[in-house]
Amino acid sequence: MEEIEKTFSKEQAAIEAERCLYCYDAPCETACPAHVPIAEFIQSIRTDNLKGAREIIQEAHPFIETCGRICPEESFCQSVCTRIKMDTPIKIRELHRYITDNTDPSENLELVPATKGKIAIVGGGPAGLACVRELRRFGYKPVVFEKKQLGGVPANEISATRLPEEIEKKEARFLQHNFVSEIKDIAIKSLGELNEEYSAIFISTGLSGELNLDIPGNNLDGVYYSRELLKRAKSGFRLPHFKRIGVIGGGNVAVEVASVLKIEDPLRDVEVIYRRGTKELKAFKKEIEEAIDLGVTFQFLAIPKKIKGDKRVEGLVVTRAHLGEKDTSGRRYPVPIPNSDFIIPLDAVVIAIGQKADVYFPKVEKNAKGLVKVSDDLMTNVKGVFAGGDIVRGASTVVECVADGKKAAQNIAKYLEGGKNV
Amino acid sequence: MYKKIDLSMEFLGIRLENPFILSAAPPTDEFDIAYNGLKAGWGGVILKTTSVEGNSVPLKYPMMSSFGSMSRKVIGLGNIDLISGYHIDEIEKRVKILKEVFPEKMIGASIMGAKKEDWQTLVGRLKKAGVDLIECSFSCPQGSMGEEAGRMLAQSIEATEKVARWVKEAAEDTPVLIKITPQVTDIVEVAKAVKKGGADGITASNTIPSLLGIDINTFEPYPSLFGKGAYSGLSGPAIKPITLRTIAEIAKNVDITISGNGGAFNWRDVVEFMSVGASNVQFCTLPMHYGFRTIKDLKRGFAHYLSDMGFNSPLDVVGKALPNIKSQDELPSPKTRAELVEEKCVGCGLCYSACSDGGHMAIDWDSEKRLPHFDEEKCVGCAMCMQVCPVDAIKMNEKIENSNNVHYFVEKR
Ligand SMILES: Cc1cc2nc3c(=O)[nH]c(=O)nc-3n(C[C@H](O)[C@H](O)[C@H](O)COP(=O)(O)OP(=O)(O)OC[C@H]3O[C@@H](n4cnc5c(N)ncnc54)[C@H](O)[C@@H]3O)c2cc1C
Ligand SMILES: Cc1cc2nc3c(=O)[nH]c(=O)nc-3n(C[C@H](O)[C@H](O)[C@H](O)COP(=O)(O)O)c2cc1C
Ligand code: SF4
Ligand code: SF4
Ligand code: SF4
Repeated sequence: MEEIEKTFSKEQAAIEAERCLYCYDAPCETACPAHVPIAEFIQSIRTDNLKGAREIIQEAHPFIETCGRICPEESFCQSVCTRIKMDTPIKIRELHRYITDNTDPSENLELVPATKGKIAIVGGGPAGLACVRELRRFGYKPVVFEKKQLGGVPANEISATRLPEEIEKKEARFLQHNFVSEIKDIAIKSLGELNEEYSAIFISTGLSGELNLDIPGNNLDGVYYSRELLKRAKSGFRLPHFKRIGVIGGGNVAVEVASVLKIEDPLRDVEVIYRRGTKELKAFKKEIEEAIDLGVTFQFLAIPKKIKGDKRVEGLVVTRAHLGEKDTSGRRYPVPIPNSDFIIPLDAVVIAIGQKADVYFPKVEKNAKGLVKVSDDLMTNVKGVFAGGDIVRGASTVVECVADGKKAAQNIAKYLEGGKNV
Repeated sequence: MYKKIDLSMEFLGIRLENPFILSAAPPTDEFDIAYNGLKAGWGGVILKTTSVEGNSVPLKYPMMSSFGSMSRKVIGLGNIDLISGYHIDEIEKRVKILKEVFPEKMIGASIMGAKKEDWQTLVGRLKKAGVDLIECSFSCPQGSMGEEAGRMLAQSIEATEKVARWVKEAAEDTPVLIKITPQVTDIVEVAKAVKKGGADGITASNTIPSLLGIDINTFEPYPSLFGKGAYSGLSGPAIKPITLRTIAEIAKNVDITISGNGGAFNWRDVVEFMSVGASNVQFCTLPMHYGFRTIKDLKRGFAHYLSDMGFNSPLDVVGKALPNIKSQDELPSPKTRAELVEEKCVGCGLCYSACSDGGHMAIDWDSEKRLPHFDEEKCVGCAMCMQVCPVDAIKMNEKIENSNNVHYFVEKR
């Protein structure tokens, strides 16, 4: 599938780079969880020093091919760009992508010999791989346990229209080749499975589960779960015969799956059905805009009540809602309007209402949602066992997970080297 | 309704419909192009420099090269052009026709010769053809008198005076402009020589000898002709500050009419050129870059400026800035300090970088609030911070001692 967003041309990059003020102590860099030296790499674009620009980004951020494409800049660097006070923020991620699209990974990262102990990394997603790279740079031997495919969610689920396979393969291959000491395709479910060989453990298993929608009819033919669908889409599967599909949810995953379904068959109707209002949508603005451009429609203030059908999905019964008070998430809560049920005729329903953790590692303390609890240095209640990424934060973003991986590596080294800062 | 200002003026006895002239260059080298320029509204043309039949003009292409920032390619234009390939026979015909079609416009022609006889023949023939004005290129690299090959004519004081005299002798009452180069030790001496020679005015000035660039992979100079290149004449916005100084220096020291030329790109530049002593302004790179349609903004912008300023004629601007141009030692010594206009500051920290690494370490940076703090004790008032601030949030002041009066030094661009 073709990518929706196109990379900057040299001319676009030049104009955008020249708009950057080259701020001192640049706020964009502080707001980037991975602290990419943005002002500096943009300056390198201005001098057409693209390899130098890549080195600057790559030094700070192990997952740069991916983040150049899918990082939600509107929540991070771009949200605080000084230029906002003058006109419009710099398109930082697009410039970042311009670099990665026009250069190959650099092997210039300084690597000391791997003489220190083996560290077990459970889960080879963004958090795990970021931790791997940093640990290797400190001289450790990271061993990765990955039950599926290196790369985590970006590699397995994020649609090829936003992140082509060859891009995230380039990324994972580079990291694996240069930094991973050993890779084992085993699912680790308890700490006991890891033998004494490892000096420390980093858990970064992400969120593999999906929340169920507990309404009648959720077992009919034609009911799908979003992430399962995305995974299958990424490996070539298509949902050909449905003409009217409803996607239940209001987050990025819902919007993403809706876009994928629309691209798959532009003639089919794809509607995102969400119980709150426009303002409460959690998905990133840019992705919503892309979906709307593709022709995805939205049904707001509609609470799913029942999936209608005999054997197969025939429609979705929803109750009209209005917005009430704010709930714990700070967003206004939908209140059902009595006797306002109506039916949306559909051939298939995709459920995209959230992710959840698979509960592994019995000795490791977790919260009510099954997320691993950690202290400030990302250590769990078990000594020498660290954790980070979505399994700690809940559904988050690649760059935040990368930041966790980096931070965990620092703290693992500190822990092993008796408090010394590396 | 905006007030309408008449842009017409008198220049060396010629009536100019407006002070914007197409200089001797590609925009006046083809009959049709010059014709189009006049039709588009330019006040006059100086046809590209012509010569006698015996002077061959071996042109080389590609002829142009430019330099600029990544997103703006032409800040400076370089050319390895020579004078026109058309000789006097052709130019004579063009002058006649243009004068007929555009009797109200200034039709000038530029000449260049090697011997006295050449210069005077050229003048005689143009005069007969009905030209309004003759400009002499004393600043073409090949514009020598024969015995000083390679040197520009206007680089020699004696030659300048001598050739100016030959030309004026032949031109009689037809106005003569001598076009000089800024590439000399003392521009005032050259201007004096022009005056002594009897010419009516000076065109200040021509392109500046330059090397446009080098391909860093192949080490070919730009423009590269199969890997080889030559020095170029630099024109366009990049040379405006040099032209301004040249005009001002002549105007302050020699009583002679000046036609400004070199780096003017808009009506604001025109005002600057005229305020330091030019009576009109010639353009080449602007129309080469954006076309003759640029005349519309030149005329409107200049007229509105004149009206807003309460001037009645373009000539009201001429020389206005000259009394303010002094030598460094004649300047007053105010005690200036940088001062922040906090509401304007966007917190980029560029002033901090500049002062820390290239000023006097007089700024502290509050990284929480993203605000600079200026230390009055350490600040010497160099104004580097003011130059780099993207939103003009820094003012330079002079605090008059024991009083509440503050004088602000501002640069408005
Ligand atoms: C559909 C979708 C779209 C998204 N879009 C974006 C986006 O546009 N931008 C953005 O920044 N973020 C996006 N995210 C979020 C982002 O992908 C995650 O925050 C991030 O991938 C989490 O990284 P992680 O390393 O913590 O976990 P994961 O990426 O989930 O990686 C965990 C890895 O661990 C492996 N694993 C799990 N359990 C075990 C086990 N027991 N033993 C061995 N291996 C195991 C898994 O196979 C997986 O490879 C999206 C998420 C989804 C689901
Ligand atoms: C390609 C080119 C050819 C030129 N040829 C001549 C010429 O034949 N005679 C002349 O006096 N000046 C010539 N000039 C100089 C221009 O007339 C003008 O003085 C110079 O370009 C500076 O003005 P500008 O910055 O407005 O372009 C030429 C300039 C260019 C760019
Ligand atoms: S905040 Fe914006 S303008 Fe400043 S350095 Fe970062 S991208 Fe450039
Ligand atoms: S005027 Fe010069 S010394 Fe004073 S704050 Fe600005 S840069 Fe520093
Ligand atoms: S350069 Fe100007 S905008 Fe930037 S911090 Fe200094 S005063 Fe503020």
